[in-house]
Amino acid sequence: MHFEPAVFEVKNLEYKVNGQQILHDLSLTVHKGEYCAIIGPNGGGKTTFIRILLGLEQENSGEIRLFGVEHKKFRAYEKIGYVPQRVMQIDTSFPATVLEVVKMGRIAKRGLFSRESAEDRSAVEEAMAKMDVSYLRDKRIGELSGGQRQRVMIARALASKPEVLILDEPNTGVDQHSQQRFYALLRELNKDDRLTIIFITHDVGVIADDIGRLFTINQSLLTCNNPKEALSCSEMSKLYGIDAHSLHQHHHH
Amino acid sequence: MLEIFQYQFMINALIAGIVIALLASVSGSFIVLRRYSMMTETLAHSALVGVAVGLISATNPLWMAVVAALISAWTIEYLRSFYHLYSDAVLAIFLSGSLALAVIIVSLAGAFNSSLFSYLFGSILSVSREDVVTIIIFGAIAFTLLGLFYKEFYFIAFDEEVAQTSGIQVKWLNFLLVSIAAVIIALSIRIVGTLLIGALMVIPTVAALRYRQGFSRTILLAGIFAVTSVLAGMVLSFHFSLPSGATIVMCVLAIFVISLLINRR
Repeated sequence: MHFEPAVFEVKNLEYKVNGQQILHDLSLTVHKGEYCAIIGPNGGGKTTFIRILLGLEQENSGEIRLFGVEHKKFRAYEKIGYVPQRVMQIDTSFPATVLEVVKMGRIAKRGLFSRESAEDRSAVEEAMAKMDVSYLRDKRIGELSGGQRQRVMIARALASKPEVLILDEPNTGVDQHSQQRFYALLRELNKDDRLTIIFITHDVGVIADDIGRLFTINQSLLTCNNPKEALSCSEMSKLYGIDAHSLHQHHHH
Repeated sequence: MLEIFQYQFMINALIAGIVIALLASVSGSFIVLRRYSMMTETLAHSALVGVAVGLISATNPLWMAVVAALISAWTIEYLRSFYHLYSDAVLAIFLSGSLALAVIIVSLAGAFNSSLFSYLFGSILSVSREDVVTIIIFGAIAFTLLGLFYKEFYFIAFDEEVAQTSGIQVKWLNFLLVSIAAVIIALSIRIVGTLLIGALMVIPTVAALRYRQGFSRTILLAGIFAVTSVLAGMVLSFHFSLPSGATIVMCVLAIFVISLLINRR
C-alpha cells in the first residue's frame, strides 16, 4: 500500500490540438521511488503528456494530481527536475559556463530577494560531483561533447534537489559509451537517492534491467507492464511495425 | 582634452552617457540572447512618437518618450504572446507605424527643425540638467530591477521552457524585460538618438560574445565596450562638432571589428 500521495496521478486525460486527438482517455499513476520508462511511436503523444504534466500545455479534460495536489493549484515545480529533448540543439555560442548552467537549477528555489546561500553552493557542488562534471566547471557549454552536455543538464536538474526526474529522450546524438555511463548514473540516482525517474526513450532494451515499469503511450496507455514481459509481447511489434524479438535480443548483448 | 570639463553641458552629457552605456549594454545582453535585437529598433521608433508629442505639447519629450516606448513594448508583447503573430512581423509593423505617426504629428505642428534632428541622431549639446536627473532616476529603477531579476532573465534566455517548468514566472518577466528595455531606449535618445540607439544595445554584447566567456564576464566586457565607445564618441563629437550618436556608433563598431579580428575561428 502506498500511503504517501503518488508522484503523478493522471485520470482520463484528453488533449486535442487543432481538432486532432493527441491523447485520449490516458490514465497512469507513478509512485515515489519508481523508475519508469515511457515508450511509444513518434507522434504518439509521449512528449505532449510530459509537457502537460509540467504545465507547458493545457489539457482539455481529465484529472491530474502532482504530489497529491490538484494540477491547477500545484506550484512546487522545483520538486520536478526536467531534462528536455534538445541536449544537442542548444545554442553553442551561448555565453554560459558549466557552473553557471548548474547554478540555474537553484534560481527558482531561492526566491526573489535572497542571495546565494551556503546551501545553494553545496547543492550545486553536490550535483556536479554526482554527474562527474565538476572538473568542467569553467568550460563553456558550447565546448562540451554531447555526453558531457547531457550530464551538465542533469546536474542542473539535480541542483534543485528534485523528488522526481523527467528525461525526454536525452540520448539523441550522444555516443554509445557515454550512454552506458549515463544509464549507470540514473540507476544510482534511483537506487541510492530514491529519486523517482521517468524516462522517455526509444532505446528501452538497454535499460530493461533497471526499470520497474514500462508505459507504452500511443494516444492512450496501451500497456503498463513489467518491462521484460512487455518487450517480448506482440504489442511492441504492432506499435513499431518491427519484430519485437529483435528488441529483446538487443537487451541481451 | 581636459577642456571639455569646463563646459557644464559636457559634464551633463558625460554623466548621462556613462549611465546610459551601462544600462544599454547590460539590458542589451539579455535582449540579444533572447533574439530580441530588432525590438530595440522598434521601441526607439516608438519613443519618437513620444518625442513628437512632447515637442508639440510643450511637455518634456523625454518623459513622453518613456511613456510611448512602454506602451509600444507592452502592446508588442501582448500581441506576440496572446495572438501568436510572427514576432518579427509585429516588430516591423510597429517600427514603420510609429515612424509614420511621429512624422504626421511633427509635420502637423510644423515642428520639423533642428530640435527634431537632435532627437534622431543624438546631441550632447541638448542634454539639460533636467535630462540628467530624469536619466538618473529612471536609470536607477531600471538598474535595480535588472539586478533583482538578473538570474531569472539569464535562465529564461538560456532555456525558456525549462525556466518555466522550474517555477519561474516567464511571461511576467518577459514583460518586465521589454519594459526595462523600453525605458532605457527612451532615455538614450538624447545622447545616441532614435535611429542609432539599437547599435548601443546590441553591438557591445555581440562583440563581447566573440571572446567566448561565461555570462558574467560577457556582461562585464559588454559594459566596458559600451562605456569606452560612449566616452570616445562624445570626445570626438565635441572636437569635430559631429552628432554624438553617430560618433558613438562608429566607436562601438570599431570595437566590434577589432573583436572579430582578434577572435577569428
